[in-house]
Amino acid sequence: MTEPRDPQRENAEREHPIPSLHTREPSEAAPGGEAAQHQPAREAIFQLAGVSVSYGDKPAVRDITFDIGNNEITALIGPSGCGKSTLIRCLNRMNDLIPSATVSGRLLYHGEDLYAKEVDAVEVRKRIGMVFQKPNPFPKSIYDNIAFGPRVLGMKGSMDDIVERALTRAAVWDEVKDRLKTNAFGMSGGQQQRLCIARCLAVEPDVILMDEPCSALDPISTGKIEDLMLELEKEYSIVIVTHNMQQAARVSDKTAFFTVELDADQKNRTGRVVEFDDTEKIFTNPGDARTEAYVTGKVG
Amino acid sequence: MSDTSRTHFQDELASLERMALGGLDMVSTSLERAVETVVNQDVELAGMVISDDDRIDGRYLEVHQGVLSLLARQAPVATDLRTVAAILHVIKHVERMGDQCVNMAKLVPLAGHEPPSDQRLLDNIRRMGAQARQQVVQSKQAFERRDVELAQDLVRQDDEIDKLNRDCFHLALEIGDDLDRREWAMHMMLVARCLERIGDNAVDIGEQTAFVVTGLFREFEDASHPELAPPTPAA
Repeated sequence: MTEPRDPQRENAEREHPIPSLHTREPSEAAPGGEAAQHQPAREAIFQLAGVSVSYGDKPAVRDITFDIGNNEITALIGPSGCGKSTLIRCLNRMNDLIPSATVSGRLLYHGEDLYAKEVDAVEVRKRIGMVFQKPNPFPKSIYDNIAFGPRVLGMKGSMDDIVERALTRAAVWDEVKDRLKTNAFGMSGGQQQRLCIARCLAVEPDVILMDEPCSALDPISTGKIEDLMLELEKEYSIVIVTHNMQQAARVSDKTAFFTVELDADQKNRTGRVVEFDDTEKIFTNPGDARTEAYVTGKVG
Repeated sequence: MSDTSRTHFQDELASLERMALGGLDMVSTSLERAVETVVNQDVELAGMVISDDDRIDGRYLEVHQGVLSLLARQAPVATDLRTVAAILHVIKHVERMGDQCVNMAKLVPLAGHEPPSDQRLLDNIRRMGAQARQQVVQSKQAFERRDVELAQDLVRQDDEIDKLNRDCFHLALEIGDDLDRREWAMHMMLVARCLERIGDNAVDIGEQTAFVVTGLFREFEDASHPELAPPTPAA
């Protein structure tokens, strides 16, 4: 039998403990107050309760409630326009950059309100990195791509070590170690995507968000990214949006299935979570007929 | 929600299921012939049962390859995945039931030209054959209709064939001291055993029906723990 986990002790023992997201002292009403009454029964890195996102007066996703576990891979699946990407962008406050976007409901990260006034969005995005659909290396050398974030953040230690560690963790070091000073655009698509993952890892996040990270890659590169995800899961929590059902089945521990609902006047399409469960359950015996229809490809 | 896509895959899956269940029709025919062979000591018919088993084996290989192909190309999930897995089980049972028919047919020439038979034992074998055949047909219907209740009723049916099997045993014990009659009775016990196993295979197919429908696999009857078996529906 394994001993029960102690998140606080584990955090203290981490090479890079998870720092507070606050740039200011928390207000009395934040973590010590209402949020403290909603501590997760099991260890959850994110707790979503009634989360809704709107662009202007148009709701994009509505009433999302589930927990995302620590050191797990959570897949978000569903048809186009169901709000998967909208939701994943809420997890590191990327939607802050869209003026018309509003987020309501409760979204806790390590038990803290991610959208509390005193939370620094830049610190959030440092702790919660993101990898996008299309590899987006900077027009710089491989080395400088990795070193960029740590330099901006003023991270201490040998930059060479930071670069090597990040590239090694992203399983691309052996392929590029002899050409670190060459332009990153000279890498293959799969290598560029792993470089982007390395760039994300270089600033020591504890969550990696991936928005269709393999949709532009060939099967070999996709396989490498999937292997990498399974390795990274030991140290990081990963949330992935994917349209590839088999990819979700192969790599994730938990899966949330989203669907699109039309409102009463049939004008607005809003994303809802139909089912959230163990991935094995979702792909062998889903509990909801809508999930069944989607994963079996009967409706798209 | 209506089915709007993957129709080609759904057609392929339905075709594969029809092929597997068609195997049960082949078994049903083979079973009927095997029992007739035993009861009438018909060596010619026995040869036909044995040679026709190649068709059942061929069906097994065909469905097995179809299952592999569907898994590789279509990556089925959820109910589709369970159906594919169940089809693989069904066709394996079809192949085994076919082999049991062959086993029965092969015993016929061993019993000799005009064996010293016992009418009560032969009647019992005939009843077992009819019961086994009914179970094979019912297992097919239950799977086709995704009828869990009908599938579970196979347990009750199987109790019947088990009872007839025990009756065969007792009749064989009472056959007397004549060595030829005792040898013949031993052969009939082996035939009864084959028929009893076919009944078990039919129950296993019923379990696959329940698995496809509910997503949960459990044995209708646990031979090692009969006390844990759920109550069977009333007949």
